[in-house]
Formats: sequence, structure tokens, C-alpha cells
Amino acid sequence: MCPLIPNGIISSGWDFVIAIILGMAFGFILEASGFSSARNIVGVFYGYNFVVLRVFFTALIVAMVGLLYFDYFGWLDLSKIFILPTYLTPMIIGGVVMGVGFIMGGFCPGTSFTAVAIGKIDGIVFTIGLYFGIFIFSEAFPLFGDFYTSGDLGNVTITDATGIPASWVAMGFTVVALAAFWGTMFVEKRVRKNMTEYKF
Amino acid sequence: MDRNYIYLTILMLVLAIGTLLVNNEPKLKQIEPQQLLLEMVQPTRYVTTDQIAKMIIHGDPSLELVDVRSADEFEQFALPRSVNIPLDSLINSSSLGYFGIPGTKVVFVSNDDIAADQAWVLTKRLGFKGTYVMRGGLNCWMETIINPQEPSEGSPNTAYETYAFRKGAQQYFTGAKAEVAEGSKVKVEVQRRKKTSAVAGGC
Repeated sequence: MCPLIPNGIISSGWDFVIAIILGMAFGFILEASGFSSARNIVGVFYGYNFVVLRVFFTALIVAMVGLLYFDYFGWLDLSKIFILPTYLTPMIIGGVVMGVGFIMGGFCPGTSFTAVAIGKIDGIVFTIGLYFGIFIFSEAFPLFGDFYTSGDLGNVTITDATGIPASWVAMGFTVVALAAFWGTMFVEKRVRKNMTEYKF
Repeated sequence: MDRNYIYLTILMLVLAIGTLLVNNEPKLKQIEPQQLLLEMVQPTRYVTTDQIAKMIIHGDPSLELVDVRSADEFEQFALPRSVNIPLDSLINSSSLGYFGIPGTKVVFVSNDDIAADQAWVLTKRLGFKGTYVMRGGLNCWMETIINPQEPSEGSPNTAYETYAFRKGAQQYFTGAKAEVAEGSKVKVEVQRRKKTSAVAGGC
């Protein structure tokens, strides 16, 4: 049955309606997980709070395993799902830039909006900077446009690239994620023991 | 330590191991049975031998003749410009690349039209567009193009026109063969369908 739009069950005009509903739900979950606090978010870099890792890894493994079951039950045709094209080097560089911004600003783009939504001043400043950055990036795009689209691997998945079946990839990811949950819990405990200035 | 975490961890692990047991091999894409039936009951898939002869003579680049007989039979006699894909190797991934190229008409040819029809049904099930069957197959080709019968007296004018065309085609395919042979050794370049990409969209 799914995906609904490629299968023509609903028209593509619903794109934006669905996007708004999903965006609101996403923002709500981010705020409910405590992601509107820069301290919670950057805690992952200092080792005192791994909520970011836990929330995103949980979302990832639940969605991943869920999609495989949906495909098996015939509710969703996985071959019709859009896969973002992979540009290897630009994506690595982009990830590093994003990570640096993350630890410096204390937010990622989505969480900065949840911070704005509850009226946090650091979130507002971050969002202004975000739009300024978007402006600079767009204006300077011709300078690095070639690099931006270099190393195009196409719409590949790990299964396409390595031949490992999707269920094994999902299984591996789940094990890694669960191990990370328990491992980070112990890291958190040890780091928090030596911290006095930050109350949890 | 919250006991719920332990339960959730075990649940997630069990679900993940469960994915290994379910068969998630990519399924062959097929069209709906009703759709297939609708196409099967219509005779629009048939092309006559006259049409094929005309297309070959005119050098129609959109025509792609696919001979589904065995390689031995293909060796003995085959239509010019035809490609041999025996029926048993029709749904190899290498063979499937011949079908569904936009702007080409794939016409299946066999001795009669039964094997060609089977090939047509298979490709239709797989969702390929633009596949046809040469009506009557090569037997009909022999009767109409290679050895046309003169229409009896009192036949309508169109029968004589068809006969005249078939006589000309007979010349082209048989009588003039010796002269054409040199020139007809043009290498046929077979187009391959590009690998279709996923549906566009995104976040």
C-alpha cells in the first residue's frame, strides 16, 4: 500500500500538509526529550549526558526494524522509498562542519527551533546565525559548487554497496545501538560523579 | 537501574533478530492480475507480418525483433535485425535490459505465435510497456511474405494491393538477397535500458 504518494493513493499536493504535521510532531518530541536545552545536547561531547545519542539511536533502530517488518507484511514497498544520493567526501566534510557548529552553538538546526519555540535567547541567537549561514552558503555556492556535487555514488544503500542483506545491517545497527545505550550509561555515571556545577 | 530499560532492550533485540527470520528479499515487481487480464483479452498486442516487413524494409529504428526460439532454430533461419533470446532465458537480468526502452517496440517472434505470446505475458507481468507479438509467427511469415498466394479473381482491390506489397517484400527478403547481403552486414547496435532510479522525493 505505502508509500502513499508514489503509489498514487494520495496526490503529491499533500506533501506539504504531511510535512507540516510531521514537523510539528518532530518538534514536539524534540522538546519533550529535552533537546531545547543546549546543555543536554552538548553533553554528548563532554560525556555527562547522552540523551541525544539515545533518542536518535532509538528513533533510528525502531524505524529501521519497523520498516523491514512493514515491507515483509506488504504494507510498504521499500523499493519505492526515496534514498538520498550519497556524495562521499562532501558529506564527510559537511558532517565535520555540522559537528563543529553543533558543539560551538549547542544546537542542531531542528533543536534550535524548539529552543526558539519556548523562548530561549541562545536559541534565538543561534537561529539568526543559522539564517546568516544559509545566506553566506547560498551566495558563495558557485565557489564550491563542483565540490558539493563531487563523488556522486547515486541513491545507494549499505545493502547495494556491500551486498550485506538489509536485515543483517539492521540487526548489526541494533546491537551497536543497544550496546551504546548501556555503555554510555556507565560513562555518564562516572562523569557526573565528578561534576558539581551542573545540576541534573 | 530502571527495569524498563532492560525489558525494552530485550524487546528491541528480539525484534531485530526477527528481521533475520523474515524473508525480505526484493520481490519481483509485477502488475495487477486484473490489469494483465485486461491487456490479454485485447488483440492490440498483435502486429501483422506485413507491418513487420514494412518496418524492416523502411529500416524503422524503433523496431526491436526478439526471437524467442532456441539458438539452433535461430541459427537456421531468422528475420533480419532480430535478437535471439530463447524463452527459457527470457527473465535473466541480462535479457530484461532489452525491454522497456522508451520509444522502442519489442516484437516477439516464434514459429507460431504461442511461444511469442508466452514471452509477451511474462514481460507484461513484469510491467514492461511496448511489447508486441508477431501474429502467426514465422510460419505466417513464410506464407505471406516469402511465398505469397495470388488472390483469386473477384477479390477486393485491397487484397491485390496487399499481394503487390508482399511480392515486393518477397523480392526484398529473398530475390534481392544476394545483392543486399553485403550492405546488410551493418552492425546492429542494441540499446540497453538504463537502470531506473528510485522515485524522486525527499526530505
